Amino acid sequence: MQGASLAAPGKAAAAAFTIASQLCGAAFLYLILRVDGGWQVIGLLALLGLGFTLLERLPWIADYALASFASVPLVAMITAAVVVLAFPFFVGSNTYILHLLIVAELYAVLALALNFQLGSANIPNFATGASYGIGAYVSALLAINFGVSFWLTLPVAALAATLFGFIIGIPSMRTRDTYLALVTIAFGVVVQQLLNNFSWTGGPNGLVGIPAPSLFGHSFADPLVIFGWKLPSQANFYYLSAALVVVAIVTAHRLHGSRIGLAWNALRADEIAAKAQGINVAWFKVLAFAVDAFLAAFAGTIYAFYVSYISPDNFTFLVSVTIMTMVIVGGMDNIFGVIVGAFLLTILPEKLRAFADYRLLFFGVVIIGFLMIRPQGLFPQRMRRYGGDL
Amino acid sequence: MSALLKVENVTMRFGGLVALNDVSLSIDKGAVLAVIGPNGAGKSTLFNVVTGVYRPTSGRVTFDGAEITGRPSYEVVDRGIARTFQSSRLFSDLSVLDNVIIGMHTRTKTGVLDALFRPGASRREMAACVVKAEALLKLGSGDLFEQRYRPAGALAQADRRRLEIARALASQPKLLLLDEPSVGMDDTETDALVADIVRLRAENPELSVVLIEHDMRVVEAFPHHVTCIDYGSKIAEGDFAAVRADPRVQEAYLGKAVAHA
Repeated sequence: MQGASLAAPGKAAAAAFTIASQLCGAAFLYLILRVDGGWQVIGLLALLGLGFTLLERLPWIADYALASFASVPLVAMITAAVVVLAFPFFVGSNTYILHLLIVAELYAVLALALNFQLGSANIPNFATGASYGIGAYVSALLAINFGVSFWLTLPVAALAATLFGFIIGIPSMRTRDTYLALVTIAFGVVVQQLLNNFSWTGGPNGLVGIPAPSLFGHSFADPLVIFGWKLPSQANFYYLSAALVVVAIVTAHRLHGSRIGLAWNALRADEIAAKAQGINVAWFKVLAFAVDAFLAAFAGTIYAFYVSYISPDNFTFLVSVTIMTMVIVGGMDNIFGVIVGAFLLTILPEKLRAFADYRLLFFGVVIIGFLMIRPQGLFPQRMRRYGGDL
Repeated sequence: MSALLKVENVTMRFGGLVALNDVSLSIDKGAVLAVIGPNGAGKSTLFNVVTGVYRPTSGRVTFDGAEITGRPSYEVVDRGIARTFQSSRLFSDLSVLDNVIIGMHTRTKTGVLDALFRPGASRREMAACVVKAEALLKLGSGDLFEQRYRPAGALAQADRRRLEIARALASQPKLLLLDEPSVGMDDTETDALVADIVRLRAENPELSVVLIEHDMRVVEAFPHHVTCIDYGSKIAEGDFAAVRADPRVQEAYLGKAVAHA
């Protein structure tokens, strides 16, 4: 087999591959954020499509990449950290690109949150947008009415949303599959309608004037100055959101690798067999709802303080569907895939503005195209490996 | 010696259908009980009642001194009853190893907060599970250990049955319920299965086994306690020779002799 010799790269080769592949990824992201013309976007998408076609045809590439990253994890992490930290310096004063990146990061967190349910446990939850909204509203209300600091609203909003997760999770246990999806859709719509109709949530006008957070006396509304480099104020939120993505990745990774992730996978595969292994299926489903709501609320809080103005329109059913598409296109139960899906689906519609009226049509075609190239998602789930066995 | 599992006067009705009719049986610690009977006789329903999938219409199930009638499955497994399914129900998109590790669910403790804030403890627990699971896979017949990173759905039929048993044993049960373990096995594989069960009992003299079987060669290997069920009712019990000679059992399997006479 061709892959056999390649599957065990030496340390030096692995390190080189790890660094080079991440720099290529970053360069690609930079390019697609920078280009404007329709043909350039098409060219980059074609390149991406070609890349994934190769990945589909030659599975050993993925094995090689995984083996490389696994053999030099420290190099991989340091490279990733450098890329993420340095990216705003290349973007410079272009606040539009920074804005896109922040939204993509927040969507990455939301997609990772939903992945606990949809990817790990196969629970079709269409209410992630509602948890996101609850997080945003709870923190915004606390900040506006009681002057609570951003850092304190983060955990409070997350706990409120988790409570909501339990509230929708428990009755949902009576249903499954299509019916479960319907219940969550109903919940999502109800939450949005309530936000629209209550007077204390500002009704359809939403909440205005959410104060910018500050850290050690530095207001997030001010430009960020690092070593004499001046970055626009959005950079504050870029780094904050990046930190949240890291938290989400660590959470996902730890749960996936523990008996909880296995239990979720078990009930995804066969609920009756999962029960026969002693798994309390109802409890683990509710748990998936709670973890999803917890992370989504974090993203909601950051979003509220970032845009400083929220309304029910930000948390519609469509948001939940978008998050779900990100998980499916990116790759169910694959942390990296879900993040790629979130970035791609956030940036793509913006870049397709060159096609004016045909934008959404083209967007749909591109998504279908990627699913045809990679039917299991861009980066499908992989078997767990234990104790260095490969 | 008091019985480990006691099923007393259990009746299970689904609407008008009587799947089990006043069935009683018991099994001692370390014993093997074979349950035979034609298709649709209610054997698997009996397992479902014992493991808490169904709550019986009437009657009691006691295990290890405690009543477990209608208790949820996860509690029953935790108390020490493990089962396999007639049509194998493996987690087919997970690896063979993961299937066995999931079987240890009730013997591991990590909760969400532990997994998030004490990753070291969670990792050690998983590492211990891997060691135990690999040992279990090496034990039985076949080469499950060599196939441990294959998806369970890709296994051959006989290996699926073996994996189901390994997964059930992972929960360190006191009572093992095997629902037609020899289905889909050829003669050599069936002999290996019998040898596996014999070895298992030698290693764990306390372990009790209830076997649902159609293959009389398997039943013959464990001839001391045999129960025959037909149309939801127990029609015979005793040792294999006695049950085989029972005219009602022969009638259940072969039809009435009246037509001949």
